[in-house]
Amino acid sequence: MLDNLLSAQLGFSAAVLGSLYALVGLGLNLVYGTMRLLNIAHGDILMLGAFFAYWWFTLTGISPLVALPLVAAFGAFIGLALYFALFRRQLAQGLNAPVIEARSLLIFFGVSVVIQNVTALLFTATPRAYRHLDEVYRIGDLAMTGNRIAALVVSLALLVSMLIFLKASLFGIEIRALIQHREAARVVGINVEKVQMVAIGLGFGAATVAGALLSMTEQTTPFMGFRFTIAAFVVIILGGLGNIKGGILAGFLLAILEIYAVTIFSTEARSILVYGSFVLAILFRPQGLLGRGKGA
Amino acid sequence: MIRRTLLGCAAFATLVATAVPLWAADPVRIGYTIARTGLFAAAAPSQEQAYELWREQVNAAGGLDVAGEQRLVEFVSYDDESDPSKSAQLYERLITSDNVDLLMAPWGTPHHLNVAGVAEQYGFPIVGNTAASVAIREVQPGNIWFPTSAIPDQIGPELAAMLSNAGVKSVSIIANVLPFSQENLGFLTPALEAAGIEVRMSENYPPDITDMTPLVTQIKSAGSDAVLALTYPADSFLYMGQARELGVEADLQFLLIGPTIDAFGKAFGPDADGIVTLAHWSPEQGDWPRAKPFFDAYVAKYDQEPDYLDSALAYMSAEILQQAVAQAGLDKDALRTAIAESTFDTINGEVRFDGVQNVVTPTAFVQRQGGKVQLVWPEEVATAPLQ
Repeated sequence: MLDNLLSAQLGFSAAVLGSLYALVGLGLNLVYGTMRLLNIAHGDILMLGAFFAYWWFTLTGISPLVALPLVAAFGAFIGLALYFALFRRQLAQGLNAPVIEARSLLIFFGVSVVIQNVTALLFTATPRAYRHLDEVYRIGDLAMTGNRIAALVVSLALLVSMLIFLKASLFGIEIRALIQHREAARVVGINVEKVQMVAIGLGFGAATVAGALLSMTEQTTPFMGFRFTIAAFVVIILGGLGNIKGGILAGFLLAILEIYAVTIFSTEARSILVYGSFVLAILFRPQGLLGRGKGA
Repeated sequence: MIRRTLLGCAAFATLVATAVPLWAADPVRIGYTIARTGLFAAAAPSQEQAYELWREQVNAAGGLDVAGEQRLVEFVSYDDESDPSKSAQLYERLITSDNVDLLMAPWGTPHHLNVAGVAEQYGFPIVGNTAASVAIREVQPGNIWFPTSAIPDQIGPELAAMLSNAGVKSVSIIANVLPFSQENLGFLTPALEAAGIEVRMSENYPPDITDMTPLVTQIKSAGSDAVLALTYPADSFLYMGQARELGVEADLQFLLIGPTIDAFGKAFGPDADGIVTLAHWSPEQGDWPRAKPFFDAYVAKYDQEPDYLDSALAYMSAEILQQAVAQAGLDKDALRTAIAESTFDTINGEVRFDGVQNVVTPTAFVQRQGGKVQLVWPEEVATAPLQ
């Protein structure tokens, strides 16, 4: 048991899963933090990224990693389209946060159903997969498939870049200001609408990139997104709604919980542990691991 | 000029002779529901695509033979949203409101069981396909039939027999907690014990599992001769990827559902060679002359391989219905008798029912070998030895 717990293999798996959870949660958190929109279609946006990567690779034969900027732009485009079509006017009305949260939850539920079914209509629901970077590299007892290494490296790079962007750039500081206090941000002259547009673009882009990375390691179907929506919500609740740094930490924590707790207890305990920790977080630490509204 | 006129008249006469019978008869309307959305939506296309291919082929050949009269086939289909109770409601609608002439089956065991009640209520015969549970034997016989031989109480003993025959002395089992896997586990465990095969580990896992490293690590530590992964499609991909990464070296790896899906072959290519799974059909079986043409036509139409279990079963059920209708027409009583008492020639060989169950097709297993899917068990239908 102890040997298993200390094995590099479990550490690698937890790192890969954690980085993907953190990336998916980051996108959801940016959108919630800046606009209080509860995007229950977040996993479906991820699914669109997976389909983009699948078709890209199938049609061009070029690595989906090369296409990641395009995948991110595709996600940003969807985010902006939804922003202008569904949310811009509502956000401009100055509604309070609970009203926006409730409305957005319902709207995104509809968006989720539409995205899933339009995708199934266009491409059928048949599972799709492709082989890319599937060589296994071994270092001692540690075995790593190329596509999982790529997922880890890209996710970590994006997470670190995002943290630096939010901490060091003027625009990042404006995003954090909006997350902390919407009205105060407006009062000090921040162009709220511009920040919202960038945030939704970044949030959706992060989701589609995560989907593209996942498409290299598992089957792609129009209905694959739901479990990632759930994971993303667990991550941002654990980390604190709108708390970027807390969300990233929670992504890794969730993965560690999944991988190591399953090793200690039983695989059947996975869902109990994951959702149990979610419920406990809401009951005893509703502000999240690092508290709420402290920004990145 | 005269020659051209005569040729024109002959061509017109031919056109009339072939076209008039088709125009004269209304199309045969066949109803079904399928999971186009919801939980099972990713699994159902392999069934509906087989239906579509069959309809296209029948119509291209001049239509369905309805007791001697050729009539085109038209589908009336609905999305049951993966909801078995909705499926039953829609079948009632197909019968009472849409007034369809025939019915084909929905996807999955729960849907079949719900629809069986509707078939019984209205005395409307349905040839099932993708239902696989011992529960199908509880269904009142008479209006629904199940061509599958993938029934858990037969799979367990047959799998144990195949393993024993291959010299396997010990196994590691992981099983999804969903019903089909658990039902199989329930019959497999005593069958392994009876065959004297040691079970070194047996673990269940939830359907939303995202990483199997701890499980696969345990499997490696157990060092058993064979791994029996009672998977559903999504987790079969997860297991395969991580078993490959961690270098599981068992002599034999069996995955319950997943490896017969086209995407599995595309995801793992030659690395999937050697994987054994559940299916009782293969295009490589020369004793079933229509098997390969079906495979080729499916690949040509959809640019993907049929599912060796679900697509084959769906197409078989359509063939059975087609042959019964040719014999009995559309009268429900005559059709019921024809299905219950006839022997059918299908892509999976001969099929005959006793009660609700096909009593000819043996429970079988296939193995991916050199990019092909070969029947490896039992010996009477095997197309290649188990490797």
